[in-house]
Amino acid sequence: MNGAGMDGAGINEVEMNRLHGKSMRGISLTAFEHTLTLLMAALREIFDEAAYARFLNRKQMTASRETYAAFCRECDGAKARRPRCC
Amino acid sequence: MPKPLRVLIWLVVAALGALSLATVALHRGEQINAMWLVVAAICTYAIGFRFYSKFIATKVLVLDGQRATPAERLENGRDFVPTNKWVVFGHHFAAIAGPGPLVGPVLAAQFGYLPGTLWILAGAVFGGCVQDFVILLFSVRRDGKSLTEMAREEVGRLGGLVAYMAVISIIVILLGVCALVVVNALKASPWGTFTIAMTIPIALLMGVYLRTLRPGKVLETSALGFVLVMLAIWGGQWVSQTPSLAAWFTLSASALAILIIIYGFAASALPVWLLLAPRDYLSTFVKLGTIALLALGIVALRPGLHMPPLTRFIDGTGPVFAGNVFPFAFITIACGAISGFHSLISSGTTPKLIRRETEARMVGYGAMMAESMVAIMAMIAACVLQPGIYFAINSPAGIVGQAPEAAAATISGWGFPITAAEMHSLAQSVGEQTLYNRTGGAPAFAVGMAHIFSNSLGGQALMAIWYHFAIMFEALFILTVLDAGTRVGRFMVQDALAHVWKPLGRTSWYPSVLSTSALIVGAWGYFLWQGVKDPLGGINSLWPLFGISNQLLAAVALCVATTIIIKMSKARYAAVTLLPLIWLVAITFTASWHKIFDPNPRIGFLSHASLLAASPGANARLIFNDRLDAVVTATLIVMIGLIVLESMVEWARVLSGRKQAKVKESPFVPTRFATEEQG
Repeated sequence: MNGAGMDGAGINEVEMNRLHGKSMRGISLTAFEHTLTLLMAALREIFDEAAYARFLNRKQMTASRETYAAFCRECDGAKARRPRCC
Repeated sequence: MPKPLRVLIWLVVAALGALSLATVALHRGEQINAMWLVVAAICTYAIGFRFYSKFIATKVLVLDGQRATPAERLENGRDFVPTNKWVVFGHHFAAIAGPGPLVGPVLAAQFGYLPGTLWILAGAVFGGCVQDFVILLFSVRRDGKSLTEMAREEVGRLGGLVAYMAVISIIVILLGVCALVVVNALKASPWGTFTIAMTIPIALLMGVYLRTLRPGKVLETSALGFVLVMLAIWGGQWVSQTPSLAAWFTLSASALAILIIIYGFAASALPVWLLLAPRDYLSTFVKLGTIALLALGIVALRPGLHMPPLTRFIDGTGPVFAGNVFPFAFITIACGAISGFHSLISSGTTPKLIRRETEARMVGYGAMMAESMVAIMAMIAACVLQPGIYFAINSPAGIVGQAPEAAAATISGWGFPITAAEMHSLAQSVGEQTLYNRTGGAPAFAVGMAHIFSNSLGGQALMAIWYHFAIMFEALFILTVLDAGTRVGRFMVQDALAHVWKPLGRTSWYPSVLSTSALIVGAWGYFLWQGVKDPLGGINSLWPLFGISNQLLAAVALCVATTIIIKMSKARYAAVTLLPLIWLVAITFTASWHKIFDPNPRIGFLSHASLLAASPGANARLIFNDRLDAVVTATLIVMIGLIVLESMVEWARVLSGRKQAKVKESPFVPTRFATEEQG
């Protein structure tokens, strides 16, 4: 996977392999689990939870009020410039 | 799967699609079931994706699965992040889906369900999906550059300037029109006004909760916000039934317009985390859930369409907005068929997340298909209503009259029978005092959606709840666009002003923040005020203006795309973007011409100004507004002309060999994902 060991969804390499239908420890995901994992990953990305997870990973920090405030400071500018379609 | 079986399956899909389209197009007399539209749409999208997008991917763009994307090459864990295809798809869809595909088809339903449906399907498959796909791919190959940057580099300096001006124009007109839709949906509606007013403290509460109590738990906070919004809807009913409280929330259009202008200014100047971000999350949460719910409701109920395929108003005499089916149906429905605004998203966040070039097809082409399907659902929601009800809700008082009996008589005279008693009963069933003259599309969509929901979930007893849920859903959608759009516009103005005086570009310097916020809010606020004061129903003038400006941006995007395709030495395939471009130029030029010069005062701005000037007690403000709208439309059309001209000069230079066919792509770097997959 990528260098940070994280995918865009903020999920780790093991989960990504599962998403790609590869078996981990000989266990294959069912289609339902696969869809559910993917859906959660998409929701976490849409709702910026994944971006926060990447931020924590990049800064080697743990979740707290202070780190979330720092994350907000970092991404607020970009968020405010992001157009929303009509 | 064996090839003969695959061929057989696609033959069945094609035959089913053809049968459904033929039924939709040729059926006359009795009503048809909405499922014909759904099946026609699904089959059309399936064929379009499987064959047309594949042709574009392999022959025109030559997607290269071995080439590293900027998400991989420039990965920083922040903006550039290689992301799973389906996750990017969801992210991209959430960004492109707004209120446009809901409102446009509802307004265009005055022509009947056929013109709008055919335009949504053909426009998406051959125009909108193609635009989103090619712009996404070209941005991916240019390190995620924006449309304006690509226009400047590939077309010329003028192209970049026109793209910038188009974006500013669209933002201003869009925000004015969107705010007008909210005003028309909430005027004299204490229930709706209370519910929407409550979303402001709910968003503020979410901001504080997210920041201090459960940092980073956005999904959880959004779910909590959703529960509070549902309580606000329930509370709104109580407010509307309590006379002393209802009086507080029964507001005129002018009062609502002033409040929305003040709100827009505050949202632009407040910290992002406090109001903009939580409202954005809440809106997205409601949006994704409601779209899924509406799709389920349509499939569960399988309603019949009461609207005929074509109405008498294709001749341009429609009460919802004036103008012939060509070009106005194609201007009115933008986002569900082709929307220039999407090119900003396709060259914004999304190209920085794409993991493999080959995935751009599903994300770019596929997400637009999903958006187009939302537009089909909106068309169904409008057409399940009895036409008389549809026209009573969507016609301005200036056309059908103020009194219920007069309006019912006028509409019945058009061949769409309706009585004042029926309208009164419907208004009561949704908890409103009246549903007459509720122009803008949102109330009609809400009634249609409530009809579908109440017949499949909860019965008639929940009609009022579903109606206000739909109103809340649309208003929340639109206010989110208003928050975000005002800020984006403010930043664009600040960026431009920084060239004049550097401190004006500082986004943390409050004199600059306040003055540029006031500039943007003042600009869209003017259009809103103009719409509120227009006796013919401002949406009649302003929605086509929005459609023209949005299609102008699509024309800019397609000019850029065609230029790049020609420079890629793929001129033989340039028709893929050139044909939609020609179509867009034809409809925007024709619509603009009508809007400026048409002798019918209901269509032409100038003839309407002349009519007002000739009448006793002429209102100077309304005359000025008409002339201003004419100047804005003319400016937009000059911009289209300039960008098309500059592009054509560039094409001629490349094709004649006077200029080397060279694109400004990032250099090829092999991807590591391909080897990982093989391994």
